[in-house]
Amino acid sequence: MNATRIMLAFIRRDFLTERSYRLSFALGALATLANLAVFYFIGKLFGSALAPGLEPYGTDYFAYVFTALAFFGYIGTGAGSYAGRLRLEQTQGTLEAALSTPVGVLPLLAAMSAWSFLFATFELVVYAAAGLFIFELKLPAANWPLAALVFALSAACFAALGILSSCFVVLFKRGNPLAWLLNNFEGLLGGVYFPAAVLPWWLACVSNLLPVTYAVRAFQLALHKGAGFQAVKGDLAILAAFDLVLIPASVWLFGLAVRRARKTGTLGEY
Amino acid sequence: MKFEARGLVKIFPAPVFSGGRPLRALDCLTLEAGPGVTGLEGPNGSGKTTLFRTLAGIIEADGGQILAGGGAAGPEQLRSLTAYCPANPRSFYFRMSAAENLRFFGALAGLPPRQAASAARALADRLGLAAADLDRRFDRLSEGNMQKVSLIRALSRSPRLLLLDEPFRGLDAAGCAGLTELIKENGRDRAVVISSHSPELLRAAAGRIVRMEAGRTV
Repeated sequence: MNATRIMLAFIRRDFLTERSYRLSFALGALATLANLAVFYFIGKLFGSALAPGLEPYGTDYFAYVFTALAFFGYIGTGAGSYAGRLRLEQTQGTLEAALSTPVGVLPLLAAMSAWSFLFATFELVVYAAAGLFIFELKLPAANWPLAALVFALSAACFAALGILSSCFVVLFKRGNPLAWLLNNFEGLLGGVYFPAAVLPWWLACVSNLLPVTYAVRAFQLALHKGAGFQAVKGDLAILAAFDLVLIPASVWLFGLAVRRARKTGTLGEY
Repeated sequence: MKFEARGLVKIFPAPVFSGGRPLRALDCLTLEAGPGVTGLEGPNGSGKTTLFRTLAGIIEADGGQILAGGGAAGPEQLRSLTAYCPANPRSFYFRMSAAENLRFFGALAGLPPRQAASAARALADRLGLAAADLDRRFDRLSEGNMQKVSLIRALSRSPRLLLLDEPFRGLDAAGCAGLTELIKENGRDRAVVISSHSPELLRAAAGRIVRMEAGRTV
């Protein structure tokens, strides 16, 4: 079975489907820009009043939230896309048809979210262009290679969380506690809209359990402060540890979940 | 290649806290399907669709075994040896054309795009599906034409075991005649199992008829 051919088939399928919803496509891009404008004006309104909490990053509020949202938007794709795609396939009645072919679990997982990652990359480019040309964002100190390393480790970690989340979709259809947690608390507690350091101690304890906290902090420090490897090595080590545990565990558990659904005959149910 | 089901058992558990009882859909079922066409008949709920889905490797049996060419075949192997056309033809992407759907599912089955396209054209012609319908969006096809596309998806895989669940459902006269011919042609060198509630169509297509009742062959 040719994995590249399967991946291309999924990308083509998702592109054709997205293209058939033209208005949704255009409105999605507009919503991204409107979202940015909100934070731009919040930043203008409060200006340096929010600066003390941002001191470790050496930047203002808008620049902080802009890069955090762009980063989180991309890595969050991994967390949400697997479960979302699977659920869509279930309700369309196409999941069983796809899983009645010889395609293995790993190629299926990679292919299923390939379009979501491509689209997230496009959104990232839109973000970057808007930052440069509309909001005149400047990142003179950025340590790009380190930021790229944080990006890769974080994207892998969130993809694993997304695969774990999709196990609930395969087994329980609706009612996904991991997706609920990821959707509602990652942004709030992970330092996306404000640095996690401003949280009270008891929320900071919860925040320290989430990989997004380490991902956003390391990424922001590398991008705004130009931090080197030494400065973020603790965050990198924790992200790597999350990857080492979550990636194999999520793939294994997804295989088990599909096997269980085949056993109970619920693969095609929704 | 000869396929054998020996003592197949499939029990669907009752949903948790539903107060219901497990459903024994296959009850020590035994069936042989060598090259040739085997027709399955039986009342609703007799286990025909469960048998198809188990033979196709979509669901796993709780007991018994399936042999392919004399050796035990697990669900993974069965998915590469079989092609299954479900009774419900709606398991497609509605916003894509029939041809694009066939290209996609062909890729999942290992068919290169050109091969999938040429097989789709040839089979569409045999089943009386117009070329324009292949290019039409799937949700704009009639129920009968959806069924033809579903049949093309299974037939184009050229599997060792072809499983057709209620394949005549919704087909016009030309479609029924074309499908009967295709089933017979396929039965010359591979195992084909079909089901139908129409005794005439089943007997016209299948050389051997097996009756199922309460999860068993009788």
